[in-house]
Parts: sequence; structure tokens; C-alpha cells
Amino acid sequence: MKMIIGGAFQGKAAFAKERFELSDEEIIDGEICDHNAIFEAKCVKNFHALVRRIVEENGSVSEYVERLCRENPNAVIVTNEIGSGIIPLEKSERIWREQAGKAGCIIAKNSELVVRIYCGIPEVIKGELR
Amino acid sequence: MMTLVIGGSKCGKSSFAEELFADFLGEKIYIATMLPFGEESHASIAEHRKKRMGKGFATIEKYTDIEELSLPENCGVLLECMGNLCANEMFRDGKISVPTEKIMRGIEHLRTRANRIVIVSNDVSSDGNSYGDPTAEYIKILSELNRKIAEISDNVIECVFGIPLVRKGALK
Repeated sequence: MKMIIGGAFQGKAAFAKERFELSDEEIIDGEICDHNAIFEAKCVKNFHALVRRIVEENGSVSEYVERLCRENPNAVIVTNEIGSGIIPLEKSERIWREQAGKAGCIIAKNSELVVRIYCGIPEVIKGELR
Repeated sequence: MMTLVIGGSKCGKSSFAEELFADFLGEKIYIATMLPFGEESHASIAEHRKKRMGKGFATIEKYTDIEELSLPENCGVLLECMGNLCANEMFRDGKISVPTEKIMRGIEHLRTRANRIVIVSNDVSSDGNSYGDPTAEYIKILSELNRKIAEISDNVIECVFGIPLVRKGALK
């Protein structure tokens, strides 16, 4: 598995597309994609948004992520880092933030490569870019 | 030896901080700064306690005034977390104060007793939202504290999705 992380609009999906030679069709969007599509997709961007949708539907994020790691071990997961702020006032926002963090830890653990993108510049924080 | 372990919510900083004491042979003390208030903090405290179980830490709950702690000589101290300590000091007694110097004095006090100190803190400054006071003031003060602690620490480790990144010094 590969994981591309960073703040919003840093060029994460563009990096994934170029680096792993993906077409637009091969990259599904966590904001709108079918929940089950992720188990077969080559790449999912906005993974944090998918976590939010699962939280809103009271689903189990950890079960979902473990299934993802099991069934789609070659996927490229693109996600924003959303945990470095003030604890949100809204309970659902708090749960989302925590679940996105925990989900990210599981995916990072299962990834052979984790790249953090800052201003479009990749920094490898786990594994190596070949 | 002092290490600052910092990161966002659920980034694996507690687990990493606990691991830093795996080879520590002296007395290990965990200073818990979170006020048990409301259902979620109770759940969080229970989760942390469970994770710490069997790792040999004696827990001291100290929400403010860490400079008053009496600690055994040459102990190891894991303080978790600065974000709570800062808020507890800032918003105590119904008024707002600037606790930076007081907290830094508290850390100096820990350093006179402990051989190994690990401080867990939060990065609260990167969510891109604008806040009014006192939240904005809190972000400013905690960030300032983080900088000051980083300055006197041997190691500064940022945790990102469970991956420790060396920002100063070394992993150990």
C-alpha cells in the first residue's frame, strides 16, 4: 500500500497521479465514491472525506480500514492531515477528526511507502521512492 | 535527556512517548494533566490507562502547578499532555492568565529530579480556522510553549499517522 498525506491543496493527488501513472478514472474521490469502490480502486483521494461519511452513517471506521488493507493491499490512499488544530466544538467533528487520525495510523502501518506533500514537494517519511 | 513528542489528534504520540521508556530502569512516573470532565474525557483517560497498563508507570494526576510535584530522584517522567496543562493553567479560577513562565519553571523543576523527561504536546495551530479570543490566545500560548520546550529539549519528534519524524536530535 502507498499513502500520500499533507494539508489541503498541496498537490497530493497530482503527485500520486504522476508518480504512479494513474489516469483520472483510476482515482476515485472519497467525497462522492461508493463505499465499496475503495476495495477495488487503484487510488482514492480525499480519504478523510470518506471517513467523515462513514462516521456520519455510524459505521465502524476501523473495520472498514482493516478490510481496505486486507482486500486492496496495493491501493494508493491520498488523505489530508486534519488533526493539528483545536478540538472542535461539534461532537461529530471531534469523532471524525479522531477517526481520521486512527484510520491514518492503520493505513500508514500497512503502507510500504508514505509521502508527505508540502507545496507540491514530496518528503518520504516511510520507505523509499523507487 | 528531554524529548518533546508533538503532533495532531490521534497521531500515535502517546504510544511513541511510552516506548521511549521501554529501556528505562528507574522509577517511571506518568503525569496526567487531563481534567476528568465529561463522558469523552473519561473515555479518553480510560483508553490511555489501558494502553499504559503493564508498562510500569505510576500515574500522578496533576492538572496544574507541576512545579509543586515531589518526585523521586533520578526518575523518568512522562508528562501528558502540555495542551491540557496549558489550558488548565490559562483558564483557572474563572480568569485568563498567561502561564508560559510558570509552566517553564515547572519543567525546570522536573529536570532537577528526573533523568529522562518526555513531554507530549499538541500541534493546535494548523487547522486553518480563525478563532476569537480566548481560543486564539490559547493557540498562541501553547505554540509559544512548544517552541520554548523544543529549544531546551535534546530531541523533538513529530508524530504523523504513527510515524515518528525527527525534528531535532535523534529518535532516542
